[in-house]
Amino acid sequence: MEPISKSVKKKDHEPKMSGRSLYVDDLAMDGMLYGRQLHSAKAKARIKDIRLPKLPEGYYVVDKHDVTGVNRVAIVLNDTPVYAEDTVEYVGEPILMVVGPDRKKVDQILNEIVVVYEEEIPVLDMKKSDTVFFNYNYEKGDIEKAMAEADRVFEETFQTGYQEQAYLETQGLIAYPHDGRMTVRGSMQCPYYIHGAVSKALGYDTGDVQIIQDVTGGGFGGKEDYPSILACQVAVAAAKVGKPVKVVFDRREDMEFTSKRHPSICTYKVAIKNGEITGMDVDVLFNGGAYTTLSAVVLQRGIICANGVYRVDNLRVHGRAVKTNTVPCGAYRGFGAPQTFFAVEMIMDHIARDMGIEPLELKEKYIVKQGDSTSTSGEYHFHVPLPEMIERMDQLSDYRVKSKRYQNQTGRYRRGIGLSLVYHGCGFTGSGERDIIKAVVRIRKNADDTVEVLASNADIGQGLKTTFCKIVADTLGIPLERVLIENPDTDLVPDSGPTVASRSLMTVGGMLQRLSEKLKKEWKNGEEQIVEERYIEPDFIIPFDIGKFQGDAYPTYSWSVSAIEVEVDTLTASNKVLGAWGIFDVGVPIDMNIIQGQMQGGFLQGIGYSSMEQMDYNDKGVIRNNSFSDYIIPTSVDVPNLVTEIINNPYTHGPYGAKGAGELPLVGAAPAYVEAMENALGVSLYNAPFTPENTMKVLQEVSK
Amino acid sequence: MVNGYQVNSLKEALDIRSREAVVPYAGGTDLMIKSKEDAAYLFLNKVPELKNIVEDAEYIRIGASCTFTEIINSALTPAILKEAVIQIAAPAIRNFGTIGGNLCNGSPKADSALILFVADAKLRLMSADAERVLPITEFYLGRNKTALHTDELLVEILIPKTGLDNYYYQKVGARNALAISRVSFAALLNVVDGKIENCSTAFGAVSDVVIRRKDIDAMLIGRTIAQAKAVKADYLAKYDAEIVPIRGRVSTEYRKSTCMNLLKDFLESNGI
Amino acid sequence: MKETIKFILNNKEVVSTAKANERLLDVLRNEFRLTGVKCGCKEGECGACSVILDGKLANSCMVAMGSIQDSTVITIEGYRDTERFTVLDKAYAAVSAVQCGFCIPGMVLASECILAKNPHPTEAEIREGISGNLCRCTGYNAIVEAIGIAAKEGNGLW
Repeated sequence: MEPISKSVKKKDHEPKMSGRSLYVDDLAMDGMLYGRQLHSAKAKARIKDIRLPKLPEGYYVVDKHDVTGVNRVAIVLNDTPVYAEDTVEYVGEPILMVVGPDRKKVDQILNEIVVVYEEEIPVLDMKKSDTVFFNYNYEKGDIEKAMAEADRVFEETFQTGYQEQAYLETQGLIAYPHDGRMTVRGSMQCPYYIHGAVSKALGYDTGDVQIIQDVTGGGFGGKEDYPSILACQVAVAAAKVGKPVKVVFDRREDMEFTSKRHPSICTYKVAIKNGEITGMDVDVLFNGGAYTTLSAVVLQRGIICANGVYRVDNLRVHGRAVKTNTVPCGAYRGFGAPQTFFAVEMIMDHIARDMGIEPLELKEKYIVKQGDSTSTSGEYHFHVPLPEMIERMDQLSDYRVKSKRYQNQTGRYRRGIGLSLVYHGCGFTGSGERDIIKAVVRIRKNADDTVEVLASNADIGQGLKTTFCKIVADTLGIPLERVLIENPDTDLVPDSGPTVASRSLMTVGGMLQRLSEKLKKEWKNGEEQIVEERYIEPDFIIPFDIGKFQGDAYPTYSWSVSAIEVEVDTLTASNKVLGAWGIFDVGVPIDMNIIQGQMQGGFLQGIGYSSMEQMDYNDKGVIRNNSFSDYIIPTSVDVPNLVTEIINNPYTHGPYGAKGAGELPLVGAAPAYVEAMENALGVSLYNAPFTPENTMKVLQEVSK
Repeated sequence: MVNGYQVNSLKEALDIRSREAVVPYAGGTDLMIKSKEDAAYLFLNKVPELKNIVEDAEYIRIGASCTFTEIINSALTPAILKEAVIQIAAPAIRNFGTIGGNLCNGSPKADSALILFVADAKLRLMSADAERVLPITEFYLGRNKTALHTDELLVEILIPKTGLDNYYYQKVGARNALAISRVSFAALLNVVDGKIENCSTAFGAVSDVVIRRKDIDAMLIGRTIAQAKAVKADYLAKYDAEIVPIRGRVSTEYRKSTCMNLLKDFLESNGI
Repeated sequence: MKETIKFILNNKEVVSTAKANERLLDVLRNEFRLTGVKCGCKEGECGACSVILDGKLANSCMVAMGSIQDSTVITIEGYRDTERFTVLDKAYAAVSAVQCGFCIPGMVLASECILAKNPHPTEAEIREGISGNLCRCTGYNAIVEAIGIAAKEGNGLW
């Protein structure tokens, strides 16, 4: 284990453990009012009229008329309204906000408001949508030739469903005006995203907007774009009433109306010639929901991962994100990759079984190596450790023996084991880091020779406060206690980019390491100094052309092998997870406990995604699973046998060798789980989550 | 407007129940999910007469305000009831949720209700000046509808002491804790001197009310195992026709298949 | 019918002017400003609002004030001054079991209830004891490990 990996007591352990940490709902301000949104009850309609009751003194209604800037939330494109205009496009779209001093009275007023809708027919099924938000195509090699010359073309379609982030702390923000400025604080991942959005919605100079992250109870991507929308709404409200306004969602509201993982339908055509895979032709369809928000970027990552960890010389990928009248989908750990990795891993399993060989045997033939070309004709610049990780996984889980043993079972209880191989592209896709984010980070050395890290990345539980400080302390050679870090405040920290894409530790941490080295050289005892570092793209990167999807989509990749063993009870179609093993290459862990905690948490979220986390809407576009009793996430007794291991594979261009870690552990869970179910049930499967309902259908059919 | 009544005796409780429009509150773990602004609760959690678990010649008698944890910890609790109650929700809910609340909710998913159906339990209901004992089958009138009058309280559950040893129980939920039943099944079989003295089955969570068909179960009573085997196909066919699940979080087909599978397994595990 | 509710909160006798049908969670957070008691769902499904009520783990969102006359309530604010907390604190820190922290006050009180009932629980008993406390960050392993460490290091405290 590298010295840096040695675990330390987390910087924020004490306040959180003792209950002293203040999350946004724990804050109160003088004269603060509470706000609640009126959400559209219809999936698609024109708003004909809004009938308000007489408002008591001190209570207000805030809507599109109160937007002093542009009634649009800046998220990549600008189509999301701050408050609905003439139409509503999904159940839950915010129409207005009621604000006042007493929460119960605010609710009462909300219930008295009558919205007169002229309903239109919503499009709920992504296959039926005729509005394509984004359409991307890329190719390499000669797919037409490969298809024409194939002995056979294997064609299959896979589906994945929604996933709700289900952070324990719901969305919440407070906005308060002061001295001609507006401050918004609360639960968030990306202070500067919010900064830009609020400035535009209010029509304020950016210098007059301040965004502060409060201690945040989980994000997982769910607080990447949604807080920008809520922030604009709360800021407009606060500007109108001239007082602080707090909005905190209740759980049902949060589950029904905030961003989720994109459901997907992926069709793969795989050309086989002489028993070899010669090409893949892939069609990817993502359900973007009612507005574009992050769909462009999620789709990009999804289609880049289309051929998985495999060397496929002839490749064509077509991807679309389409509009439906459902809640806009956004970021969730994995960000498009879980969907396409599910499809490619499953089809490889199916092709192998069709050929009469073990899935792993087939996969091993095609695993990429250092120097190979990526899907987008970039290069795998670094060692790909999958072969040794597979061997270790086989040791841990006995995968190869079990996979054979579990074929053709009878009896009440049937076991199965599945294994998946995935990567996560580290950092922002393409040249976004260089051209869009342009991260800046600072360190201030105080006169007492303590130093403070000044970055906009948010600790949302993943331990950034600790790992950033470890990097700085270790490089400077000073005790960890003398390195300070606060939750980001845009008045005080530069824009080092958002807390997304598994970039914070690798990219910003890397900048902090270089900056610390610089400070060490320039260090003057007893003096206050400020040093700054800007992002520099590593020199080995083959520039990425986003128009053609050519070049290095990512500087490097983190790799994982996941195996899951299940036991199905054929009487009830329910199952037990007997074992879940994950082996992860994240370069070098900056703190072993923190990285292990991330791997375990992400892996369990992935197992939830595979099995119990089903979310669906009814024919009116209303999400039915809107509470913890109906949207089922794993408890402590559901996977008691989850094991994670980290391998050491230092990345030359990451701080201390670290690479992106946060999202990786979720990506491989679904194909491992569903392959295990295939092994247990003896049939090919095509969708995730794969629930007891799905299992029962298979058992019924098999018994016929 | 008074917003709640705290009482320390059953008499006090029944008096208020007879006079005021109150909502009986024993543990609150279901009531508080949809707590109404103007609800006037009658707090029964500290009424000693409702907290006893005792036995007499025929019955184990459980006070309606006994919590699930108290029921699990009592040496008198029959094993089948313990097994069902221990799988309810999670520790904090079990610490305060009560068997009385579980029943008066009127839900076919109530885990304790299923056991009481299969055990042919009785319920003692009291009002300020009257008392009646009802078989549990007469307590449930429909989905979320019970026979409890607005001046009555459920006071005690009477479970027959004998015939509960050879039981079959299966709860099917969405996960291993905090899981509302999607299908549940309980069954009892008593074989004495080679003859089936009692066969009792109940299906929970699949219909508006727990399904208990004594008339169908009667097909096996009085028979030997071998004779029961002979009518097994007929017995199953009758249940197959009578179990018509309603769609919930899972489909009717899933519920039906699971019910029939568990019923068959119950028979097979007893040699039928 | 008493107009106020008297109970013992973190070892001090207090009086609440809340109505009998109000939630204990809301009273603790709003009237008594005990913000360590978190709200995750208000339906008894997540355990973020856990308190120890009359010695038992409870979801304070599911408790109506009228039911706690003369009861004892312990929140994280009261528990964190105990020696037992110090042991749990050290154990949770040793394995970095705290990520976003939102589930943690509830988990800590659930940990206390597990060890109070059984000072040397098995892993299965630990998992069962926190089965009503949802955590989305950790995957539970580190929390389970921390409680096990506390049991070992507890040294007769439980």
